[in-house]
Formats: sequence, C-alpha cells, structure tokens
Amino acid sequence: MLSTFLSQIANGLVLGSLIALIALGYTMVYGIITLINFAHGEIFMVGAYGGLATLTYLMPTFIAQRWYFALPVVLVGGALISVLVAVAMERFAYRPLRNAPRLAPLITALGVSVALQEAVRVFYPGATAAIPFPNLFIEGTWIIPIGDGVPIRYTGILLIVVSLVLAFGLERFIERTRMGRAMRATSQDRDVARLMGVDPDRIIVLTFAIGGALAGVAGVLYGSYLNNINIDMGFQNGIFAFTAAVLGGIGNIRGAVIGGLVIGLVKALGGQYLPGGTAYDYVWIFVVLIIVLVFRPQGFFGETERVRA
Amino acid sequence: MTAVTEAPPASTPETAPPRHTGRLAGLLGALAPRARLLGIVGGVVAILGSQLPWATFVLNQGAYPELATLPFGFTGFRLHLVILGLATIVVAAVRVPAANRIVRNLGIGIVAVAVINGLYITVEGGGLGAITAADGAVAFGSVVALIGGVLAILGSAAGGVEPRPELDWNLPLWVEWLLLVVIFVLMLLVVAAALTSGGQGGVVNPYSGAVFLSFLGAAGGAFAGLNASGLLGYVATLSERHRVFSVIVLLIVALGLPLTSAGTEYWMTVASNIGVYAATAIGLNIVVGLAGLLDLGYVAFLGIGAFVAANLSGATASAVGIHLPFVLVMVISAVVAGIFGAIVGSPTLRVRGDYLAIVTLAFGEIFVRSAQNNIGGLTGGANAIPNIPAVAVGDFRFNESITIGSVQLPSGVMYYVLIVLLVAGVMLVFGNLKNSRLGRAWIAIREDEDAASAMGIRTGPIKILAFLLGATLAGLAGAFFAHKTGVVAYDSFRFLESVTLLSAVILGGMGTIPGAVLGASILFVLPEKLREFSDYRLLIFGLALVLIMRFRPQGIVADKHRRAELAEEPEDAAKEAPGPLPTRVEP
Repeated sequence: MLSTFLSQIANGLVLGSLIALIALGYTMVYGIITLINFAHGEIFMVGAYGGLATLTYLMPTFIAQRWYFALPVVLVGGALISVLVAVAMERFAYRPLRNAPRLAPLITALGVSVALQEAVRVFYPGATAAIPFPNLFIEGTWIIPIGDGVPIRYTGILLIVVSLVLAFGLERFIERTRMGRAMRATSQDRDVARLMGVDPDRIIVLTFAIGGALAGVAGVLYGSYLNNINIDMGFQNGIFAFTAAVLGGIGNIRGAVIGGLVIGLVKALGGQYLPGGTAYDYVWIFVVLIIVLVFRPQGFFGETERVRA
Repeated sequence: MTAVTEAPPASTPETAPPRHTGRLAGLLGALAPRARLLGIVGGVVAILGSQLPWATFVLNQGAYPELATLPFGFTGFRLHLVILGLATIVVAAVRVPAANRIVRNLGIGIVAVAVINGLYITVEGGGLGAITAADGAVAFGSVVALIGGVLAILGSAAGGVEPRPELDWNLPLWVEWLLLVVIFVLMLLVVAAALTSGGQGGVVNPYSGAVFLSFLGAAGGAFAGLNASGLLGYVATLSERHRVFSVIVLLIVALGLPLTSAGTEYWMTVASNIGVYAATAIGLNIVVGLAGLLDLGYVAFLGIGAFVAANLSGATASAVGIHLPFVLVMVISAVVAGIFGAIVGSPTLRVRGDYLAIVTLAFGEIFVRSAQNNIGGLTGGANAIPNIPAVAVGDFRFNESITIGSVQLPSGVMYYVLIVLLVAGVMLVFGNLKNSRLGRAWIAIREDEDAASAMGIRTGPIKILAFLLGATLAGLAGAFFAHKTGVVAYDSFRFLESVTLLSAVILGGMGTIPGAVLGASILFVLPEKLREFSDYRLLIFGLALVLIMRFRPQGIVADKHRRAELAEEPEDAAKEAPGPLPTRVEP
C-alpha cells in the first residue's frame, strides 16, 4: 500500500519535473509579452522529433551506441531545433501582432500550434503514428529501499535532476546576469526598458530561445523516458505545463517548477486513488486548472492579480 | 458618365508611380497612354490562349481538362476564360466607371485559372514539357492565357486603379424587388455550380480538386470584377433597403437548392453538415463576436446537444432508452446545452481574457475525456452511439426521397429543408439580439468591460447570458446533427473542431451573420472538394489562421464595430491612404 503510494509519488515527480521544464517557457514568455504561447507545447514536440532526427540521421553508430556521447548530442540537437522553431515563430507570427488586440495573438498561437503539429506529421517520415524513441540513458531501475521498495527508472532520475538543475540555472541567470536584468526590466515596462538602453526585441527573442531550448531538452528526455513519441504529445503536455505555470503564479520561475511538480503528483495520484482511475487523470488536471483560475488566478506565488480585458 | 471616363487618364501620372517602386514605376509610366489598348490585348490573348491546346499528352488518369490536348473548346475552364476575356475586352473598350479596377480583377481571375490548370498539368504530367512542347506536340495554352492575364493587369495598373464607385440608383419599387429576386437566383445557381464543379472528388474523380479550384479562380475573378464596378455594393444597399423582402427571398431561394444541379443525396448531406456548423458558428459568434469572450471549448455544446438527442431518440445503444418526438428532443437538447453553457460561462464572473479562454478549453477537454470514457453510459465511449433513427413524421422518414409530381427530390432533402429553416431561425435570433439592448450591452462589454460596467450594465449576468444563448443554439444544431448522421461519437467534438469553428467565425468576420455562414461553408466545403490535398488540410488551415490574423483580422465580411476596433493606428492608415479595399460590404 505504502509502496504503491510512494511509487506513484515517484512517477508524479518525474512527470512533474518534465512539465516544469515546459512550464518555464510558458511562464517566461507570458512574463515578458503577456502572451499565452499556445504553440509552446508544439515546440516541446518538435524538440523530441528534432532529437530523434539527430540520433537517426546525423549520428554515426559508434557514437549513437554509447549513451554518454549520444545523450548530450541529441539533447543539443533537439534543443537547437526547438530554438530555431521558437525564434522563427516569434519573428514571423507574433512580432507583427505585438500591438494588435488581445485575441489576435492567441488565435495566431492556435494556428501555429496546428500548423506545427501537421508539419511534423506530414513531413517527418513515419510520424503519422507514434514513433519508438530509444532510451538515451543507463537502462534499468533503481529500487529505493523504502517499504517493499519503490522502483524508479534511471532515466526518470535523470529527468528530475536535469529539470531542477536547468530551472536553478535559469533563475540564477535571470537574477544575476546583465541579460537577466534586462529581461526583468522588459517584463516590467517595455518602453522604460527601451529608454534605459535595452533592446526589447532582442530580449524577447532571447526569451523565446531560452524557453525553446528548455522545451527541446524536455522533448528529448520525454522520448527517452517513455520510449515513444507522437505528434499529440505537445498539445497535452503543453496544457499541463500551462496549468503548472498558472498554478505557480505565471511569470514566476520557482512557481512554475513547483506547479509542475504539483500537476505531476495530481495526475499520478489522481489516476491511482480518485474515482475513474487513469482514464480520468487528465480530467483532474483540468479541474485543478479551472479551480485555480477561478479562485486564485495569481497562483501560489503571484504577487498581484493580473486583471486584463 | 463622361466626367468619370475622363478622370482616370488625367490622374495617371500622380496615382500610378508612387504605388510602385523602381523600374516598374518607369515601365508603368511609359505604358500609361496605352493602358486601354493593353487591357483589350490582354483579353484577346486570354481568349486565344483558351483555344490553344493545354497539354502535350493525355494525363495518366484520363483526359484533363476535357480535351486538353486539342485546340478549340467551350467547356469547363475554357468557357470561363472566354467569358473573362470577353468581359475584359468590353470593359477596357467601353470605359465604364472604374474600368481599370475591373480589368485588374478580371485579369487576376484569368491569371488564377491559367496558373491553377497549368500548374496542375505540370505537376501531374511530370514537368514543364507537359504545358509547352514535348514529343512533337505543342501546348502553350496556359502560358498564353497567363500572358493575357498579366497584360490586362499591367494595363490596368498603368492606367491607374480608381477607387470603387458608389452606385445608388433609385428605381421603382417593383424593379428593385425583381432585381433582388434575379440576383438571389443567380447566386443560388453559382453556389450550386461551385458545389458540383469537378464532381464529388475522391478516387472516382481524380481531377475534381483542380477543376474546383479553377472554377473558384474564375468565379473569384468575376466576383471581384463585379465588386470593383460597385454593383455588389449596390446590391448590398438594395437588400439593406428592402431587408424583410430580401430575407424572405433568400430563404426561398436557399430552399430551392435541391432543384438545381446540386440536388443529389451527396450534396444534400454536405449542405446539411455545413448548415449544422453554420448554426453552431452563429452561436459561437454571440460569445466571441458580440461579447468578445473567447471560447475554446465551444464544440462541447454541439456534442452535449448531440448526445442528449441520441439518448432520447430511441437508439438501441443509448442507456436512457426512451423515444421522444423530435421537436421535444430538440428543445431538451437545447435546454441542457444551455444549462451547461451557463455553467461554463460562470467563471466569467471572475476570470477575463486569455484566462477565460483557457477555462473554456479546460471545460471542453473535460467533456471530451468524459465522453471518451463513456461517462454514466451516456456517450457510448469509443463505440459511439450508432443507429440513431431518422426523424419521422407519421410514416415518412426524413432520410427518404420525395417525389412530387414528376419531380424526384433526392433523399435527405427534408433534412436540408430542416437545417435551412434552423439556420434561418438562428440567424433571426442572432440578428435581433445584435440590435437589441442586450446585443449593445455585449458589444459594450467587448469594447471595454470596465466602461460598460460604469455605464450601468450588469456585466456578470449578461456575459453568462451570452454563453447560455450561444450554447443553446449549438445544442439545437447538435440535436439535428445526431439525427442526420445517425451516429454520435466523442471524436467529432475534439479541440480541433472548436478551433475550426472559431476559425470559421474569424475567417467570415466576427460579429456578422453572413460571415459565420460564409466561414463555415468555406471551411467545410474546401476539405470536401480538395480530397487530393487532404494530407495538407490541417497544415494549410493552421497557416491560414496565422495569415488571416496578420493580414485581415476582421475577416471576409467585416463588422463595422469590429473593424474600428481592429484597425491599425490612424497614422498607419493615413500612410496607406491611396490603398485599395475601402471595404463596405455590410450585410
């Protein structure tokens, strides 16, 4: 009983740290240009396919067979593709609409999301169905010796560690560097930031690029953990990540990570203990989303309620 | 008349050059004195092109287009080209008002037809040889027609494109009425021709997509030409003047579709499906277009209506297993959907903007997941609810065909009649709401919620009312949908369908009735006609959404309020002052 509970906690933490990685991108973009970048989930999906393409088409077998060579290369490959797509998206879809009425960018984001999904489905060989994705880390499971033993795969541990390290690094970057300060300035007041010598366009591109890189890494790790990827993964996990970002207080890095972990736990434990079982685990996440948005839209860590038309 | 005809050549030097840059401006300036001649030559060349062979060999899947390898022919796209060419010649020679503008649009139509057919033959035939010269055969038809179109456009650009004239003739009442009837009947015939052009598509008919696109190109050119002449604007004014009359005529004309060439079972089904989505889109238009509340889970209400109807229809798979009369079922479906609408809308009391969109999306997803898992045994889950009996009045079932005298109407015609009446009713509701106190309150909330609240509008209940009414209309459409298709599955109500509906509203023009219907028709006819490209359907769809938001956020039929709201800042507008498109297409 206890071990079931604990292993669900472990599952939840793995999924949660994955969602946290994606949520960081949401929260950063929203923080800077107050846009719900609906297509961010697709950036995550594109990263997974980009990583797989790197592995399948670009890598000599000698490297591909040794995880300590393959993993970094695939991570970089996936992240690069994601960054590319994210930056192109910002440049061609969102930037022209920066002063448009509020609905326009949101609808554009929906369009980008559909287009990216379909582009992968149509142009990536075999993407009409789920594609197997190899495990890029040490095979096997570590049994944590509590109760009857709580199994967690090494890849899952990798996921948790990478997420936390990246989130920590991101926070340091935003708090401690010149660029980070420029980002915070832009998010507070774009015009004043411009007066202070910050180029908001560059900062916004940088934000999309960082968010994209994190999503790309998340995509590769997701494939590596679940061992197959499909074109729907972006939409689903994107919504989860958005929920996480809202939960933690959108615009807040630490909040996004904690929100992600909470969402992961809700899904894992809800699937185990709530009526309906795993068939309804998605529903619980959406219920949480609605409750949070209605009763505490500023999230756990948000300072002020953002009221906008 | 004479004043108008003299004006354009005089103004040419000022208007033409600033609109073009570099070399082209010089070229156009040099061509300016020959503008009319160029237009005429363009038309002649286009007709010439239409009569030349278009392909050097017969394509693998049969002759395309009809007898393309032979010269001379007055069928299909060749006929369209001849008509467009003749119109170009006449307009360029006679110098009607805004002649250059008309010639330009006709020229674009000619180019479209030439390019679409030429491209298709090239791609299917495996190279440029297919439309130029190969194996001792020559086929320069598409190239010549293309040149003709380009010449016409060039001529009109050189002559200077005039602003669109505003026609306002006052004719005797009966003449105006007659005119409206004739125009609406012509519109019906064009719609029927567009639906049937190229046939049903699919394996049997490999060229349907290309033929349809070509038809669209030609019709688009002709339509744009008419628009440029100001005639369409006049018709719009006319129908505005006789509002009730034109609504009635339009309804009767729409009911006449089964009597045209589109009167087959297949097209009745397609038209009924369009009707379902049009009605739903109008409902969504209340929420999004009028009240400005973005709903990303709207299709759930269509689903709720459909599932309620399926359960009350006496289908064997339904858990409830009672059979109520159709009218009652419709009412119950609408009421249930409306209740859910109010529930989904209630967060609007606290949540605004993007967040509200996400809340509605979450509700939509909860609905799909629950339906997928066969919640309470009401939705059939993955098995759906099949075998929903057709609507029956006495012994007559709505999916049978009718014979009146010697006229055999296709099966499904009664469903078509029903959905036309339903859509008409929904339009009526929408139209009256829009101009009511409630509608004005919605628009005020859309423009500025805080200001509206300060003006004494009780924003909370009114926003919920928008959701409630929108959902009710969708529920009605859902009940119809369940009986028409006979199967209701959760798969028909996914997120993508919500996005499609939303795009129908946006594409057509938010807040307008014809916009929603037009958008729904386009988004559901195109996939039906372009089966060849079905792989790229959603890709194109996504890109189109992005492009519309970028270049024409107000949609095809722009709403007055909406246009003002979406307009660029005044400075930008001033910069583009001589631009085209002073759109005045109000319903």
